[in-house]
Amino acid sequence: MSVLWQKQTHGVPKQTEQANRKVALLFLGGVLTVTLLAAAYLGLVAWNVRLARQVWTMENQLMTMERQNQALMTEVARLSSIPVLQERSVKLGYQPAKTVDFIHLEDTHAP
Amino acid sequence: MLRDPAARLRLIVALWVLALLPVLGQLVRLQVLEHPRYKAEAQSLVRRQYALPSPPWGVITDRNGDLLVGNSPVYDVGAEVNLIADPAQASATLARILSQPPDKLYASLTPVTTTQRWAWRSLAKNITEDQAARIRELQWNWLTLTPTWDRYYAEGTLAAHTLGFVNEQGLGYGVQAAQLRFLRGETITHYGNVSGNTSPLPEELAGRNPIPHPGTNLRLTLDRTVQAFVEGELATAVQQYHAAGGTILVLDPRSGAILASASLPTYAPSQYAQYAAQGKTDLFPDPAISRPYEPGSVFKIITVAAALDSGRANLDWSYYDSGAIEYGGIIVHNWDGLAYGHQDLEGILAYSLNVGVTTLSTRVVGPEIFYHYVRAFGFGQLTDVELADESPGTVHLLTDWDWADSYLATNAFGQGIAVTPLQMATAAAAIANGGVMMQPHIIAERQYPDGRTVNIPPRPLGRPISAATALTMTELMARAVEREVPQAEVPGYRIAGKTGTAQIPTSGGYDPRDVIASFVGFGPLPNPQVLIFVKLDRPDVPPDMRWGSQTAAPLFSRVAQRLFVLLKIPPTMARESIDNG
Repeated sequence: MSVLWQKQTHGVPKQTEQANRKVALLFLGGVLTVTLLAAAYLGLVAWNVRLARQVWTMENQLMTMERQNQALMTEVARLSSIPVLQERSVKLGYQPAKTVDFIHLEDTHAP
Repeated sequence: MLRDPAARLRLIVALWVLALLPVLGQLVRLQVLEHPRYKAEAQSLVRRQYALPSPPWGVITDRNGDLLVGNSPVYDVGAEVNLIADPAQASATLARILSQPPDKLYASLTPVTTTQRWAWRSLAKNITEDQAARIRELQWNWLTLTPTWDRYYAEGTLAAHTLGFVNEQGLGYGVQAAQLRFLRGETITHYGNVSGNTSPLPEELAGRNPIPHPGTNLRLTLDRTVQAFVEGELATAVQQYHAAGGTILVLDPRSGAILASASLPTYAPSQYAQYAAQGKTDLFPDPAISRPYEPGSVFKIITVAAALDSGRANLDWSYYDSGAIEYGGIIVHNWDGLAYGHQDLEGILAYSLNVGVTTLSTRVVGPEIFYHYVRAFGFGQLTDVELADESPGTVHLLTDWDWADSYLATNAFGQGIAVTPLQMATAAAAIANGGVMMQPHIIAERQYPDGRTVNIPPRPLGRPISAATALTMTELMARAVEREVPQAEVPGYRIAGKTGTAQIPTSGGYDPRDVIASFVGFGPLPNPQVLIFVKLDRPDVPPDMRWGSQTAAPLFSRVAQRLFVLLKIPPTMARESIDNG
């Protein structure tokens, strides 16, 4: 093996080696930065999707509750409708008033 | 030559570059050169127009907040028929849940052609929550359940004509059709990324307002208790007098608010589709606003008011009633064919003299003044009440091509002129309200989904007659009731009113037998708070009982008696006693 071969393969001048190290470090730093940024972006996207899913679920709940609310409103209206009230009143023994008299209280305006 | 390590390195690099070049080329082709096409293709797969779940419509309540029309949560059922493995078994199972014939369902579930990749069919509409739950338990992925709403009429047929309905095309009757733009909730449709079952992806919804606004709630001026009572009394009267139908309107003359509007025959708005399928669509228009009729003698109050307000006649005015008067080629007789001798305005109203009002319109007032007052009272024009399908009625004017002089004579006692019950009630309400005619209205308040509440204030339409004339008219009408129509009186309350018995026009003349009996009255005097208009169509009773005084007036009395109590209006004497301390 010639001296020249050894120089070319194993022998690197000290100055060049230092420069190469700097380049390698810079490259490594760049890769690391890009990786971190990518990870942060992915995390942000995932967080966003998770939040969107939560919003979607809550909207569905809201819709379900709205439907329950409307169903309850109609049920209350049915139970307090005039035919139902009349039926219940009759069952309780009430009858329509035949005459209505107004009573004027003389001392209404008394101090 | 490759013994040189540097050369070998260059060779390897060159080979890598050569190997990467096609990849790079493809990337450039896909990402740059053909980017728009691939993007469009990708979007066509996931981007669709989608609609967010429909929000509920606005609810309708009466003036006390009792629900009249609400929303029932229901579902529409559909099927992707090409995904069904066994249509026979599926139709048998669904038939039990949907209460439909299995044969009909089987036909719906069987694809017509096998080349169709997707074929969606609607199976049922407006199924209940229980039915939907049973369908969900089946876990058939080809079944679709779409949440939607159905209108719920809490009181059944109560105020059917007023509430009305709206069909799927957005057409209908009543306040719902007239106020559709307020009642209908906001339907949101977007173009965006959707999932396999065409529902929007969560990230699609994240950037939008996904909650569609519900409709605006309406609070009506109707009082459901008054409405129910009035409908009951009308049904009883229609049965008692064997009438073909009838209408009762209750207004507050001070504000124009409609407290009740009942008409027979009626229908169930929730089942409008069945009525339409049976060809019974003539039940839908509201007779109170859509069916003009010749008012007959009730209209005499307009003629007398015109004569008084124009100054052409006063309480001292009188004429000689010979029982007949000729004008415009026709001879007008009194309703009983009798002559009444010397009569004044009070006598004209008390005895309902056709000759008297014809004398007023033709010889005292004249056509220009008479029709000025007819228009001022709102006849021949829409009242613009918030109800769909209102008719303006028919008023022949001097400038019309079909004008005949005889109209001036017949219009004076309500023939040859067509008005709606609401127009007649509104005009009479102007007399009750000191001459100021208020806009008849059915909506008291709008409650917007953002929480805003807007009251609809009473709106004066104008002053057709002066306050003095209105006071005089009220007194004349009150005396007319006291003298000749005791059937309309209400114990303890002083009321004013006028009867009407109108012939029904047919082709070439008037129906010789049938009449429309009516009565318009208000009270209690001196500060009328309620106006009641009563109309009975074609009462089938002995001829001497067909008069408005025999049918409509007693009905007015019954309605008024109860309404004064329901509305907490004390008797005239009790009120005077309270007012005097």
